[in-house]
Amino acid sequence: MKKTIIPIGPYHPLQEEPEFFMLTVEGETVVDVDVQIGYNHRGIEKLSELKSFDQSTFVIERICGICSTSHPFAYTRAVEDIEGVEVPMRAKYIRTIIAEGERIHSHLLWLGLAGHFLGYNTVYMWVWKLREEILDVMEIISGNRNNYAMFKPGGVRRDINPEDIPLIMKKLDKIVPTLKMLFKAVRDDPVIHARTKGIGVLTKEASINFGALGPTSRASGVARDVRKDTVYGAYHEMDWDMIVTNNGDVFDKVVVRILEMFESVKIIKYCLLHLPDGEIDLKIKNIPPGEGIGTHEAPRGETFHYVRSDGSNSPVRHKVRAPTFMNLPTYKATIKGEKIADASIILAAIDPCYCCTERMSIRDTKGERLFNGKELIRLSQIKTQTLKQKLGVKETSLEKLVQGKP
Amino acid sequence: MKLPKIRELIEAIKALIVGPYTSKFPKKPHTPYKSFRGQPKFNEDYCVGCLACEQVCPAKAIDHKDIKNGKTAKRIIYHYTDTCIFCGECEAACIAEHKGIKLTNEWDLAFFDRSKAFETIERELVLCEICGSIIAPKKHILWIVEKIGELSFSNPTLYQTRLKELGLADDNLIASIKENARDDRIKTLCAHCRRQTTLTTKNSKTGG
Repeated sequence: MKKTIIPIGPYHPLQEEPEFFMLTVEGETVVDVDVQIGYNHRGIEKLSELKSFDQSTFVIERICGICSTSHPFAYTRAVEDIEGVEVPMRAKYIRTIIAEGERIHSHLLWLGLAGHFLGYNTVYMWVWKLREEILDVMEIISGNRNNYAMFKPGGVRRDINPEDIPLIMKKLDKIVPTLKMLFKAVRDDPVIHARTKGIGVLTKEASINFGALGPTSRASGVARDVRKDTVYGAYHEMDWDMIVTNNGDVFDKVVVRILEMFESVKIIKYCLLHLPDGEIDLKIKNIPPGEGIGTHEAPRGETFHYVRSDGSNSPVRHKVRAPTFMNLPTYKATIKGEKIADASIILAAIDPCYCCTERMSIRDTKGERLFNGKELIRLSQIKTQTLKQKLGVKETSLEKLVQGKP
Repeated sequence: MKLPKIRELIEAIKALIVGPYTSKFPKKPHTPYKSFRGQPKFNEDYCVGCLACEQVCPAKAIDHKDIKNGKTAKRIIYHYTDTCIFCGECEAACIAEHKGIKLTNEWDLAFFDRSKAFETIERELVLCEICGSIIAPKKHILWIVEKIGELSFSNPTLYQTRLKELGLADDNLIASIKENARDDRIKTLCAHCRRQTTLTTKNSKTGG
């Protein structure tokens, strides 16, 4: 059958971010997919190197509007790793509360969008109404609905006022019944079942091979979660379940995310009730030379930050790896063989975030991308040739040896 | 198929009774939570003009200009609303008991002309008597005097500014003191000129 290429993007009314998908279709079946990103590159890593350690936290926060806690969390852990210090317990609890609140609002946002992609706008409206409650909780704690500005190397910047705790608890209690209703709706609604069950299956094997992270991998039966695997924050202080399902289709990804929200509510409630007394900030004066890594389980998976310091006031190198970078290649496994009408929900199922992912893009002066391995090898070969011409070397001794010339 | 439909119906009826989550904004004014981070505002009573806020601002939303006009000078500190990210680092770094610049609850910050989206505060500057360069804002010097107490009498710049402010000393009185001592030592001096007068007698009329 004749193959047709369907371009989606880079600027498309359906999408929230600039990204470009090239779907190769045979009839109505998708046979291949190619993703191009790099339209959203802002040079955040370089910006971070120009600012001081404290100021960088605010730049890192703006890598992504949804993960505005995950990146600073990983970054501050990396900076603390350089110094080898432990954050006070109260700061850890507050960090955990903020991180879990973000997980709830991020999952709700995704759930609403998933409903919208499925043509189920009722879910979209319900969920986004519910999301307002958690955003209010975040505003009470941090002073803003988004970009919380709570993190700093060595602790947190704001304390939780004990007078606010009853109000926060009340708002959290309001969320739970609606979440339960949503879970029931997803569990027994035949329309959602028909659209999501058995669609875009990512097998356990493929998930491991692609190195998928977060809910994407947990829906495929890979029990990996940074919150359980490493000791940080206040996660090891309480009992909570890691949600793992086995099918790996879109339906399971929805279920994993909804059940994770219940766990997040549980964690926040425990933290608020058992908030320890004490300092919230270590007041770090200077950061010694060295390098450190920090990780955090963001709503989409593991966020990884690497920071190197030379003892001065600002980082020398700062590397960010967002979870979508690892989840994006799973499209190759999930979308092949599916119908084109299912493409949008499968592409959305990993909860992609391109502004998190876009750290580097190489282009030539005409705007063409120099991205794949072939291009890079060709560039390398051209460089060797020009160098040879400059040096006046016609044939190197190695080449002579290879060709058998004396 | 029945159960989901009934659930949707129940939700719809609930929504009818409870009403929308959104507020009727233009008719009913919005009051944010107490902890809301709104526009930072300078406090005329507390700000000493030390520029600690300018140094820590991650968005470079705070800037200053020093304007010299003959023997008087003033410092204008700008806070640009359009570049501000409302993080509150300025408030945290403020040396005047975190009151010189403070986040308010103000959130209605829309404007038509971007070039007018700033607020300012003016501070009088103290100039060096020899070279005429800027030493510090007057309020900052008074703040230092208050902090270090009697130790300030080791530095003429500090105690002279303080005594002038209290009305206990004026230029005539200081001139009479100068006759009995090295005149260049009892002057309001910048750091550079102070070093020079300590090491040399270059600026002295009486010659030490």
